Amino acid sequence: MPLTRCWQLNTRHRFGIVAFFVYTSLFIFVLCCAFWPNSVLASSAVSTSALSTSITAESIESKKLDENPNVYFYAWGGDAQINAYIQWAAKQVQAKYNINLHHVKLSDTSEAVSRVLAEKSAGNNHKGSVDLVWINGANFATMSEHSLLLPNWANKLPNFKYTDPKNNPAVTFDFGIPTKGMEAPWGQASLTFYYDNLAIDGSANNQLPTTLDQLLKWSAKHPGRFSYPKPPDYLGMSFLKYALVVLHEKSDEKIKAQLNQVANEQNSKLVLTPLWDFLNQLHPTLWRHGQHFMQSGAQMRRLVDDTELSLAFTFSAPEVPAAVQRFDLPKSIRSYAMEDGSLSNTHFVAIPYNASQPKAAQLVANFLLSPEAQAHKQTPSVWGDKSVIIPTTLSPEQQALFKTQTPHPSALPFNSIKRTLSEPHPSWVEAILTGWQSRYGVRLLEASNEHDS
Amino acid sequence: MSMTPNIKPDLFTRIVKFSPRFLLALLILPVLGGLISVLLPAFGWAPALSQYSFNLQGFSELWLTPGIGKMVILSIVTGLVSTLLAFVITLMILASFFNSPWLNRIQHLLSPILVIPHAAAAIAVGFLIAPSGMFSRLLSPWLTGWELAPNGMFPHDPYGISIILGLTLKELPFLLLMALGVLAQPELGKKLRQQHKVALNLGYCPMTAFFKVVLPSLYPLLKLPTLAVLAYASANVEMPLILGPNTPPTLAVAIMHWFSDVDLNLRIKASAGALLQLLVTGGLLALWVGGEKTIKHFFSHLLTNGEREYGGVFWQKLTGLITALVIGFIILALIGLVMWSVAGFWRFPAAMPDQFVLSHFQNAMMQMSEPLFNSLVIGVITTALAIILALLCLEAEQLTGKNVSRFISLVIYLPLLVPSIAFLFGLVWLQQLINNQATFTHVVFTHLLFVLPYVFLSLTSSYRRLDPRFAHVAASLGTTPGNVFLKVKLPQLFAPILIAAALGLAISFGQYLPTLLAGGGRISTITTEAVTLANGASRRTSAVYAIIQMALPLIGFILAWILPKYFFKSARR
Amino acid sequence: MQTSVLEIKNLELFRQEQLLLSLNEQVNGGEILTIMGPSGSGKSSLLNWLTGTLANEFHATGEVLLNNQNVSNLPAHLRHIGVLYQDALLFSHLTVAGNIEFAMPKCDKKLRKQKVEQALEQVGLAGMAERHPDNLSGGQQARVALLRMLLSEPKAILLDEPFSKLDTQLRVDTRKLVFDLIREHKLPAIMVTHDHSDAEAAQGKIITLQSQGH
Repeated sequence: MPLTRCWQLNTRHRFGIVAFFVYTSLFIFVLCCAFWPNSVLASSAVSTSALSTSITAESIESKKLDENPNVYFYAWGGDAQINAYIQWAAKQVQAKYNINLHHVKLSDTSEAVSRVLAEKSAGNNHKGSVDLVWINGANFATMSEHSLLLPNWANKLPNFKYTDPKNNPAVTFDFGIPTKGMEAPWGQASLTFYYDNLAIDGSANNQLPTTLDQLLKWSAKHPGRFSYPKPPDYLGMSFLKYALVVLHEKSDEKIKAQLNQVANEQNSKLVLTPLWDFLNQLHPTLWRHGQHFMQSGAQMRRLVDDTELSLAFTFSAPEVPAAVQRFDLPKSIRSYAMEDGSLSNTHFVAIPYNASQPKAAQLVANFLLSPEAQAHKQTPSVWGDKSVIIPTTLSPEQQALFKTQTPHPSALPFNSIKRTLSEPHPSWVEAILTGWQSRYGVRLLEASNEHDS
Repeated sequence: MSMTPNIKPDLFTRIVKFSPRFLLALLILPVLGGLISVLLPAFGWAPALSQYSFNLQGFSELWLTPGIGKMVILSIVTGLVSTLLAFVITLMILASFFNSPWLNRIQHLLSPILVIPHAAAAIAVGFLIAPSGMFSRLLSPWLTGWELAPNGMFPHDPYGISIILGLTLKELPFLLLMALGVLAQPELGKKLRQQHKVALNLGYCPMTAFFKVVLPSLYPLLKLPTLAVLAYASANVEMPLILGPNTPPTLAVAIMHWFSDVDLNLRIKASAGALLQLLVTGGLLALWVGGEKTIKHFFSHLLTNGEREYGGVFWQKLTGLITALVIGFIILALIGLVMWSVAGFWRFPAAMPDQFVLSHFQNAMMQMSEPLFNSLVIGVITTALAIILALLCLEAEQLTGKNVSRFISLVIYLPLLVPSIAFLFGLVWLQQLINNQATFTHVVFTHLLFVLPYVFLSLTSSYRRLDPRFAHVAASLGTTPGNVFLKVKLPQLFAPILIAAALGLAISFGQYLPTLLAGGGRISTITTEAVTLANGASRRTSAVYAIIQMALPLIGFILAWILPKYFFKSARR
Repeated sequence: MQTSVLEIKNLELFRQEQLLLSLNEQVNGGEILTIMGPSGSGKSSLLNWLTGTLANEFHATGEVLLNNQNVSNLPAHLRHIGVLYQDALLFSHLTVAGNIEFAMPKCDKKLRKQKVEQALEQVGLAGMAERHPDNLSGGQQARVALLRMLLSEPKAILLDEPFSKLDTQLRVDTRKLVFDLIREHKLPAIMVTHDHSDAEAAQGKIITLQSQGH
């Protein structure tokens, strides 16, 4: 008995030691991992702190970078497919250029803008935390106004030629503001709609709304089946801009012209009144009586899948068939464009003036603009975001990358966008947002308070 | 010990004896430091923002925030009601199934819930109660006539009912298992069971016997866990983020938004908010303790009034019903979660998906390597540190021959009782002051604060139960204290250490706020990803993340269960 | 005071499928039936069967009649059978008086206090009502436990090696007190014990069980 006990004890203690050893070695290993990237970060930040010039075709040919730079890409992270695409890109630039691309997932791009702004006011002019940012519209306007972006690099990217910039102003103007080489185009978007054809069955009482006016009437007949993401969400703001532009279709030319001017107190009242009148009618018919809004377009898409909503919209039409193929939307989904026009714009990537790795960030931007990356991005099962590349600039082999199979039934039919509506001046975003929040943001609170008492 | 005053103790003994002080410092300093670093900015003193004067600007801004009253009320109501519900249902289950084999069955059914992270539980509950959730699917269209999902208000309802439901379902198993843990202590448990038997013999119906005999002895041991639950429920962010309203959210969620806002000036308001949160949680804890005192004062005479039956049959039936409901809820939620993770098309009224596919798992797995790696590495380091520290402290207990003081046992609960939202932000400020690059180390350290208490509590009872005669025999054979610890005690504690490790890993895996804040958003784990995706595009993807989140800790527990069997088997061969 | 009768009819007690004991007995009020036997012979299981708390691995056939009423299928708390264990098992969250009042049937508060005082005086514990049970000596605790059981007005009493933890002199005194009170209240009692002096003092029938080992 004592012998067995002793032996058992001995054996057990050996396992104890093994367990202990495993823990300790893991611990040491991980500590190494923890400190190593930081030291690399520090050294590489020093080596490239002198602002580099823009990259050229030759410098790109010079294969992998010697160091192993970390590029922090600040991009909206609410969609798993987009996140997966960025991860794919990260793998590519790792293999091609030895760059560690980190996706910093934002819930709102304005977070990145304020971060760079805060760094500038704190005097951090060389070691900023943002290397690359996904941006357009109002955020771009803010950043360029405060000189927060690195200028004159995007137009010199080797792959920029594929966008045919001479004949295609969409890649050099962001909501009417010239980009001045501060941002490289990444994708193109139009506001298109999609619906559940089992819920909107086309019967006399349930016709598909194809204009803003029909939308209002349809929603009144089918309350709770439509809504839009809560401003300042990008997609929600886009719906409001679409409504604003359409509502002014028949307005006096003078008032209409204000949409392309900077918004101020005087013209705001004049221009926005029709929008508020429209929303006052629309809101009571919306999902949850317009007292609660979804946070994002992604959430709106899920509500369509849940059949809570019957009609929704997106800025990225190929996203719809992609979602159906992933089962994230029902088979009965169909896409279409409004007959009174589709709001269109381009989205870009930009580099803050104080980026720690401006050179590596340009390499990433150039890669994102390559036919290979653009074609992969446009593939419906990947992301389905429309390419900014003009096919005529490509070689036949490169064009072949973009060939797709027969369109999915839920995809937007070819040539369905009959007319495009251009974005109003970016300053209108702020004006709409302020007005919306004072009207509906506060009312939401009051309404729910009344509900309680 | 006093017999050898002139011989200097060896290094091991000195390290061991020092370790409780180290533990105290490790727990108190960050919490206190964090609180102070929140306190100062709240009153306007924020060197990082070049503000050096004391004023109440933060509080006046806080006061002017629209909906601030509603936020506070929402926090109070959801925290208090969910804790109360979980507590009462726990007692009812214990009372009606005390000494019955059903108690064990219920325990087996509920204990896996314990390791499910809050975020995953919230996602599962959300799937259940949404207008297109499992409930309305099961009732449609045959009963309701709904062909499309109805206009509902869950989740995100303005009254916080969804939050209360989620918190109750999650905290109920925790409290129940804590109580069963107390009853599993050999001496106390036996005594309480015998006393319960005596009361039965005296003609008390089982439920009354439980409340009059067992509860008064049981409650003091349940008090700290209950208070920890209350503190957590009133100040957590995962549940309200996933299930709560956004016009306005709970106070804790609002504070989190202000703190993480890049407009640094909002941090002053956030600090003031953190103080308010501290007041709210502190007030709730005080309210609970006060309520307990009141109940004791006014109802203690009922203990001896001789009444043996308070409609026991009714309450027993009610408890059976509630237990069945709770278990049904949990099972339905889990089934829903699993089905979503493999669902192909699944249009609303259908109770089952049209087809089952694995592509969601495949897609998610491809993106999961980094968060998975982070989760595992952070979890393993944190747990290893926590276990080493806890073992040293417990060894110190045995070397000095006295149990850790009441003070230490209370301090161990400190990170669980002080709302993490209140001290974490201060802690992160401090960490950034010290070194703003070592985010990984910061995350590990912050996790340690939350892992350590659980690991310590889990190891304590087994360590104290060790038969001291083994150590005495070894010492009489000339073994040094260090070797007694390594060669005699640790091998005997193999299984409990594995259990503690599994628990530590589970706690670390589940941390959301500490990871988010200490990592500055740059370190993603499975949990941070799951919360980010929870309100996003795809139910299927968030179901996959929630399942992975549940599976990780389960793997740890299964290993802890299998490994000792394997080793002991080989030892016997 | 009416006398009670405890009857055990056709009891067959099994562990798994093995017969442990069979019994047919009647105990009249004031009588003490003593059961002796080695451990494992089923003594405790017999008591557990009588109180309705038989463990899962046992099963039994037969009936318990209390005053001709079959209580075999009643739950433990409705049987009115009091038990005295070798440990006093006093509730440490209640005072001495609280422990006893806990056991008493519901009645007027003043009356209860009075009864408790009287009872304590009767067993030599006058003035101890507000003491905490953990501060009492072993003999005192045993007496409180006895009072607690008696004042619950049981119809029968089971004694599970009740005196085995007391030293000799205390044992004799306590035993006398218990047996006197049982006779005074004319309650049927069954005692399980290892100790022959207990059995003799009980002055009743003695059944010795055989070990059911091999």
